[in-house]
Amino acid sequence: MKAIFFLLLSALFASPPLRAQLVNGMEDETRLYAESKQVNQFFRRFNGEEDEKGNRYNPDDKMYQSAKLRKRYFSVLFDESNQGISTTLKSEFVKQVVDKENTLLDFHGPQWFSEVQTIFTSNAKDLPITLFMELEKDHLGYKWVIRKVFADAYQPYFVRDTTKVGRFLHPLSHELDFMNLHKAFSKSDSISQFTAKQFVPDHLSVFLYEVKKGTLKFKSVREVRFHFFQVAGWYFELADFNRPGYNTGWLISNLVKLNTDADKILLQRYLYHETN
Amino acid sequence: MNKIPHIITLLLSILSIGNLNAQTGEVSPARKQAIDSLALEKVRDLSKYISIIGNKKTAFSEATRVMDRAEELFTPGSEMGVSSLSSQEVKYYKVRKYFEHLVALNYDRVTIKWYDIHYISDLERQPDGRYVGVITIYQRFEGESDDGMNYKDTTKKDITIYVERKKTQIQGRIIEFWDVLLGDIRVTETGV
Repeated sequence: MKAIFFLLLSALFASPPLRAQLVNGMEDETRLYAESKQVNQFFRRFNGEEDEKGNRYNPDDKMYQSAKLRKRYFSVLFDESNQGISTTLKSEFVKQVVDKENTLLDFHGPQWFSEVQTIFTSNAKDLPITLFMELEKDHLGYKWVIRKVFADAYQPYFVRDTTKVGRFLHPLSHELDFMNLHKAFSKSDSISQFTAKQFVPDHLSVFLYEVKKGTLKFKSVREVRFHFFQVAGWYFELADFNRPGYNTGWLISNLVKLNTDADKILLQRYLYHETN
Repeated sequence: MNKIPHIITLLLSILSIGNLNAQTGEVSPARKQAIDSLALEKVRDLSKYISIIGNKKTAFSEATRVMDRAEELFTPGSEMGVSSLSSQEVKYYKVRKYFEHLVALNYDRVTIKWYDIHYISDLERQPDGRYVGVITIYQRFEGESDDGMNYKDTTKKDITIYVERKKTQIQGRIIEFWDVLLGDIRVTETGV
């Protein structure tokens, strides 16, 4: 893999003007050129829409989205430290994306979203909360919106065991004006047993309520990653690698072949923590 | 800061390139290139100002004047989100506070250098019709004290740029131009 990097980098710096030197002889910049510095650059490299120095190609440029360019970029778009992504799997993915279907990533398109790990404070304690964000068209442009929320701290409040008979409101409760609700609500920890089977906890609503009420205060963003389902039959994750070396920046950190639509739905539910 | 040269540059760039596609609101490649240049010019101004503000030889009165100039590059309310290798947590500062923090750093000698590389994103349109982009640059900081204390880091700066079509009147004629302002900046210590 290193050989490929050097091939790429030597190609990069073979052409004038040579801008690889740092001002006043500081370290050289080759590492920074190799890095996928923005998610935008990952998109452009994946689609073959810029040259090795990050200059944008226009649609009428010869190299724009060319298979040759795209294949060259794919050699630097994976996290090389992840042994879980085999060379065979990568080759199969690249072959499908470039040769078979010529799949391009669409920034404004569906089937990709961001997972943002944040820290809020509640009762003076840090509370990790995951925001799932999507791009949405609005008026003259686009904006990121919160699609879903997951908070580990909310989970215990929604736990219920549907395999046991448990507690219930008997079927003639209505004849007594549901006076037995008094007993149902007396034990708050078992209240979820009285909800419908179809009930799906919605962390986003609870989150909005808490923020608006002032009991939850934003503190910081800890980590951002992206999940892509835009390539038919495949899923990949994009994460930022801030480390020494040439394999840095926004890289494919996970790659999964999806054999059926059921696989895709299952994986999406897993990512959203909708495992029940 | 004298804004006249900027406006003249902007006007010239508008005269030399095609119009915005009125129906789609898309920016043509030629115009995008002109906007990129304008945005880079502002980022270079900011880099220059940061170097002056951080320089221990800069008199306080001069640093204050430069901070004022630097602040004019930004949209109101812009913030710096700063994180280090040792902590994932992002700390948020108003731009002015960040500059003041830079002035107050307890080193006898500070060197701020900028890497030659930059990366300019595509321009995306927001719901309000303004365009937004991000320019990435890298900075090398070295602080040294007489008692031997020294600190070095390399930071990546992802700088938001806002691009807006504005109108001005020159000698009775209404002329449209593109204005570029800087916004929030994410500062990440890199593992170089």
